Amino acid sequence: MHAGLLTALGILFLAVMLFPIYWMVNASLQPSGNTLTAGFFPTNPSFDGYATAVSQQGKNLVTSLLVSTGTVLLTLAIAAPASYALAQFKFRWINAALLVILIAQMIPGIVIANALYAAYNDLGLLNSIPGLILADSTHSVPFAILILRAFMIGIPPSLVEAARVDGAGLIRAFLSIVIPISRNSLITAGLFSFLFSWSDFLFALTLTTTQAVRPVTLGIYQYLGSEISNWSAVMATAVLSSLPAIVLLLIAQKYIAAGATGGAVK
Amino acid sequence: MGTKSKMRSFLAVAGVASLALTACSGGGSGSTAGSNSGGDVKTLTVLDSYNNDPDKSILQASIDKCAAQVGVTIDRTTVPGKDRMQTVLQRSSSRTLPDVLMLDNPEVKDVASTGALSALGDYNVDTTAFAGNSLDAVTQDGKVYGAPVPADTLGLFYNKDLLAAAGVEPPKTWDELKAAAAKLTKGDQYGLALSAAATYEGSWQFLPFMWTNGGDETNLDTPQVKEALQLYVDLVNSGSVSKSVINWTQADVKDQFVAGKAAMMINGPWQIPALEASPNVKWDSVQIPINKAGQTPTAPLGGMVWTVPMTGDKAKMAKAAEFVQCTGSKDSQMSLGKARHTVPVRADLHEEYVKEVPTMKTFTQQVENARARTGKLGKDWPKAATTIYTAVQLALTGKASVQDAFAQAAKG
Amino acid sequence: MPNMQRINRESTPPVSAPRNTLSARPRFSRENVTKALFVVPAAVFTVLFFGYPVVKNITMSLQDYTTKTFFTGEAPWVGIKNYATIFGSNLFTPALLNTALFTLGSIAGQFVIGLALATFFKRRFPLSNFLRSMLLLPWLLPLIVGSATWRSILDQDSGILNRSLEGLGVIHDPIPWLTSPAVALSAVILVNIWVGIPFNVTIIYGGLQDIPEELYEAAALDGATGWKAFRNITWPNLRPVVSVVLVLGVVYTLKVLDIILGLTNGGPANATQTLAVRSYQESFINFQFGSGAAYSNVLILISLIFAIIYLRANRRAVDE
Repeated sequence: MHAGLLTALGILFLAVMLFPIYWMVNASLQPSGNTLTAGFFPTNPSFDGYATAVSQQGKNLVTSLLVSTGTVLLTLAIAAPASYALAQFKFRWINAALLVILIAQMIPGIVIANALYAAYNDLGLLNSIPGLILADSTHSVPFAILILRAFMIGIPPSLVEAARVDGAGLIRAFLSIVIPISRNSLITAGLFSFLFSWSDFLFALTLTTTQAVRPVTLGIYQYLGSEISNWSAVMATAVLSSLPAIVLLLIAQKYIAAGATGGAVK
Repeated sequence: MGTKSKMRSFLAVAGVASLALTACSGGGSGSTAGSNSGGDVKTLTVLDSYNNDPDKSILQASIDKCAAQVGVTIDRTTVPGKDRMQTVLQRSSSRTLPDVLMLDNPEVKDVASTGALSALGDYNVDTTAFAGNSLDAVTQDGKVYGAPVPADTLGLFYNKDLLAAAGVEPPKTWDELKAAAAKLTKGDQYGLALSAAATYEGSWQFLPFMWTNGGDETNLDTPQVKEALQLYVDLVNSGSVSKSVINWTQADVKDQFVAGKAAMMINGPWQIPALEASPNVKWDSVQIPINKAGQTPTAPLGGMVWTVPMTGDKAKMAKAAEFVQCTGSKDSQMSLGKARHTVPVRADLHEEYVKEVPTMKTFTQQVENARARTGKLGKDWPKAATTIYTAVQLALTGKASVQDAFAQAAKG
Repeated sequence: MPNMQRINRESTPPVSAPRNTLSARPRFSRENVTKALFVVPAAVFTVLFFGYPVVKNITMSLQDYTTKTFFTGEAPWVGIKNYATIFGSNLFTPALLNTALFTLGSIAGQFVIGLALATFFKRRFPLSNFLRSMLLLPWLLPLIVGSATWRSILDQDSGILNRSLEGLGVIHDPIPWLTSPAVALSAVILVNIWVGIPFNVTIIYGGLQDIPEELYEAAALDGATGWKAFRNITWPNLRPVVSVVLVLGVVYTLKVLDIILGLTNGGPANATQTLAVRSYQESFINFQFGSGAAYSNVLILISLIFAIIYLRANRRAVDE
């Protein structure tokens, strides 16, 4: 098929998928923030929502960025070695461990949040970025382990063994052989960890009690609830909060593409 | 921080307090209400759910006034209304309740029955000035646990231009309501909008019809209650009310009204600022229509309540009670009521209030006859509320007849 | 086990104490200690952040746990009373059925569309990488905003979907997306499919990237292209990724809550009640935390069954 035609088709698919997001942008520009009388285009745009959002959410965006980045690092630090172990070591309890990880995915977040609140309160982790990073990692660690393990299971043991013969310790072999080979899957797992954490709302809600540390999702939520909802500010904040993440997505995609074309296994 | 020590002192006090509430109130606490004891208290923590402007800053101004009066600074936290109870429970279990806590009035009895709130009488807070119906929601076993802030309720808003164009008078009875709604329905415009969502909001909106007709939450299987449901069903089946009402929140209802897609709506005065922000919609309000002559329009009483949680720090609790006492003052009630389009809960203020805020005339009358949701059932109210919204949903979607809806919903 | 012994002997560096290598219990060899270090962080994290909450959830389901408990700390033991309550409820069977339909429908839709889009984007064309990364956008949307937007799109009277379909002449009467008990579940599934597509596309795309290009080149020489190449090369090589995607999909979908709460709140007339919604409503609307925990435990049990099936299938695949 002609490449231009493929691009056109791709744009069409994307347009269908992203229509709700366009609709949200449309809503954010409506004076009342509602789309009941809106046409397909915001003919009479109002930027009040954006003014509110920009003046109130800047700091929260930075908080979200710090928490999400921290979650990616912590998740990969915990998950990468564990995944390698589950993929390559012949421990007898591996199936049991996998079962535990699968079940861990299943626990409703609210159950975790409730238990954590009391513990955090005693440990002084409420309203702290490390506290949120740890909690948000519950979204991503089990997931990252499953994803990474699925990739690492395909790594030929001979690669590592060769390095060991050359005198490298297990940890060094892991760092110098396994990690570089798994770059693609690490980026995928990291990407999703970032997104999980970025869109987390439950822990932001339950584990922060002041304005000091407040991820942007909670900033959005603050515009809702109680008795009046400021939809244009909500939608505008949602649009703004997507921007930094979109930039990161584009950068990360570049790396995935680079890794794929560079060839992972030489 | 001092969390640990606070916890320990809490445990020491709470053990005694929960066992001997009555003894406490008779004893030494009388003196703590005095102005110079507890003078070492410099800060009070406050938790409320007015998390959005303009309400957030309006309440801040009101809080600051009373804080200055009792001589403390305030450390205030706001949470979204939806998560207020969850926050309260978490803080309750971790012994970090605020010194002053704002609850929604139907929550007070439930929280009070856990032992987490102190009775205002223990600090000699005078609650006699509050209107009787506003105290129903906060009185448990003869003790008052909260001071209501100015209240809201439900009424019938109508679009003056649309009614005038159709030659329709604002309806006073159910028959007039049905006729008016039918006449006002044309094109993509419905006669009436209301919320019948599968949430407490849906129950809250059904109550004015149910109560006005003599229905009662202690027994939902009565003709009075079913007639109110029949009204809903008639309105929806005749096409005067959108089938979508089963998913609409009250904010959605307001959006429909503002967009000119509904000529009338059931809603509350907290929507007035939003209505005033859309000057092209000319509106007025009347009380909830009645079914038969002689009935009194009876809507639910809405609104928040200031309470003093059992934090264990006696000096702070006494200071918090002083603060709460101040919020019930004429001055505080009047200024907050004017700023937020809510009705002061002191009968002695109503005349002056209506004079200053004429748009609130209807709602002031409606508040005077309003009923507290938890007045009769206390902490069993949530169960009845669930049955009500479920029955409304079953009937409006045709899954059950009006006859069977409540019985079927109660089995859920 | 014999396998491990072999690797051990070959790979243990001579510096490590020979006594250990020869001892009858090689479990404590330095090699194995190092190996254990790989899983220690994950194990500690799991115990603290998953183990404790689960245990708490189980005990909670056996107690009369209400608002009062939070303040007094008292939660009388009631045995299996909470389970009796939820199994006896009129809503249990419909909620179970809805959970099954919701999960099956969502997974099928997400996976098929995800696979199709991933295959499509694997072909190189101008902007393909950019377009594919933009596909992740729905993920960035907080679910609460996403469901509010969808609710406005699906509104029966003024929603843009019905307005467009009517404008195009596809339908004559507006479809009651969220207002008819017969349609609402499908509409909720539709939105959940939309939410899940980015995830499926990305993971499957990653799996497709890992299939060596040479396989396709070799197959092309044999005349296998298009559908044939997909069936003979893509699908078998993708299987490990597919099974991960599907099992994760099931596990995630079972506990979906925000979308349903945002769209219908379990209505109309309880038509979109699922076990997760029941659990939430029992705990945080009715404050019956014991019953709420019992519902979550039923959910955890169901996913446990799925997990076991998955692992069994996995082991069989490995054995082959």
